[in-house]
Amino acid sequence: MTSAPDESDDELLLRSQSGDEEAFLTLYRRRQAGLFRFALHMSGSMPVAEDVTQEVFLALLRGDCGYDPARGTLSGYLFGIARKLVLRHLERRRSSIALETDADDYTQPELAVIDDPLLDLTRREGIDALRRAVQALPRRYREVVVLCDLEEVDYADAAVALGCPIGTVRSRLHRARGLLLEKLHQERNTRQAPGTLKPVRCVS
Amino acid sequence: MNCQEFWNTIPELGECDESHLLECPTCAVRMMRHRELEAGFRAVAAGSRQVAAPPRVEARLRTAFRQQTGAEHHSPSRPWIPAVTWVAAFAAMFALAAFLVRTRQPEPVRPPAPRAVEMAAVQQPVDYDGFIPLPNSAGVAADEDDVNLVRVEVPRSAMIALGLDVSADRASELVEADVMLGSNGVARAVRFLE
Repeated sequence: MTSAPDESDDELLLRSQSGDEEAFLTLYRRRQAGLFRFALHMSGSMPVAEDVTQEVFLALLRGDCGYDPARGTLSGYLFGIARKLVLRHLERRRSSIALETDADDYTQPELAVIDDPLLDLTRREGIDALRRAVQALPRRYREVVVLCDLEEVDYADAAVALGCPIGTVRSRLHRARGLLLEKLHQERNTRQAPGTLKPVRCVS
Repeated sequence: MNCQEFWNTIPELGECDESHLLECPTCAVRMMRHRELEAGFRAVAAGSRQVAAPPRVEARLRTAFRQQTGAEHHSPSRPWIPAVTWVAAFAAMFALAAFLVRTRQPEPVRPPAPRAVEMAAVQQPVDYDGFIPLPNSAGVAADEDDVNLVRVEVPRSAMIALGLDVSADRASELVEADVMLGSNGVARAVRFLE
C-alpha cells in the first residue's frame, strides 16, 4: 500500500501498527532527519545520533509505545524519546570520559580572527563559533535551542518533548540565547586579547 | 515601559514593543544582537539541512519491522513450526488426560506380599460365616458365585477400623484374615481368623 504525501503522522502510525511497512517507512523518512540532527547537536557524535534515531523508531514499533495523541503531536513525542535516549548516552559518556569531554569544550577554535562574531554569524566562522557555543551550553538550555531554534520545532511540541510547560520552554530559550550572546562576546574578547597584549620590553 | 519590563516580555521570541526600542539605544543594540543570533541559527540549520541518518538505519528498521509484524519471508519449514507445536501440545494433553482417567478407575486388590498371603479357598461353596462387610461394599453376597478369598496378615490395629476391641499393647501384632474379593476385584468383606 502506498502512502499519500498529505497523510498525517497519526494516520501513518496507525497503519504501521496494523502491519503496513510502507506507512512505517514513510513515517521514518519524514521524521528521521530532524531526530538525527537533534541527537547529533546534543551529543556531538554521529554514532550516538545514529543509535538514537534507530532506537526511537524501534520504540515506536512496540505496541505499548505510550504515544497519546491527546497529549501532543507524534513529532513532539518522538523528540521526547530521542531526548531521553540522548541523555542516557550523555550520562554514560560523562561517567566514562568526562575529562575528554571537558577538554573538548574548551578547545580554542582554529578560525580566522574576526572582529566581532556577533556582527556576522552567517559567515563560515560565525556559524562554527555559534555551533560550538551551542554545544557548550548547559544541557537544559542546549536542548531547547536545538529543538526550537535549529530544528524549528514549535513551542508546544518542544514542551511535549521536554516534559515541561510552554512557559518554561520560552523562559529557557530566553535564558539560553542570553548565554549564547554572552559566550560569543567572551570568545571575541579572548581572540582579541593576544593582539592587544603585546609583549613590551622594560627599559627602565 | 522600562527596560526590565520590556525584556520580561521575552520580546526576542515574539512580538516586541518597537516604541521602547526607539527610545532606548541600549535595548535596541541588544535586540539587534538577538536578531543576528536568529540569523545565525538559520544559517546553522541550513548548513545541516542535508544531514540525516545513514541508509543502513532504515534497512535495520525495515528488518525489525518485518520481524515484528511477521511479514518477513520465512524459510519453507518455518510456517509449520506453530502447527507442529500445537499438535504436540494437544497430544501431550490427551496423554495426560488418559493417564488421569486410568488412575481414577478402581484397581484390583493386590496381595501385600507373597510371604503374608496365600490363597485360602477358591472352591465352591464358600463358607461365609464370620465375615464382616467392609464399608462402601455390597456386603457379603451369599448368592455371588464368582468370589475369591485371599488370606492375608494384617496388623491387629486394622480390626479397630471395623469396630473390634484391640488392646493398645497388641496393636502392632499381625493377625491372619480372609478377605473376600468380588468378581470385580474389590474387597467386600473380611474375616479375622483369631
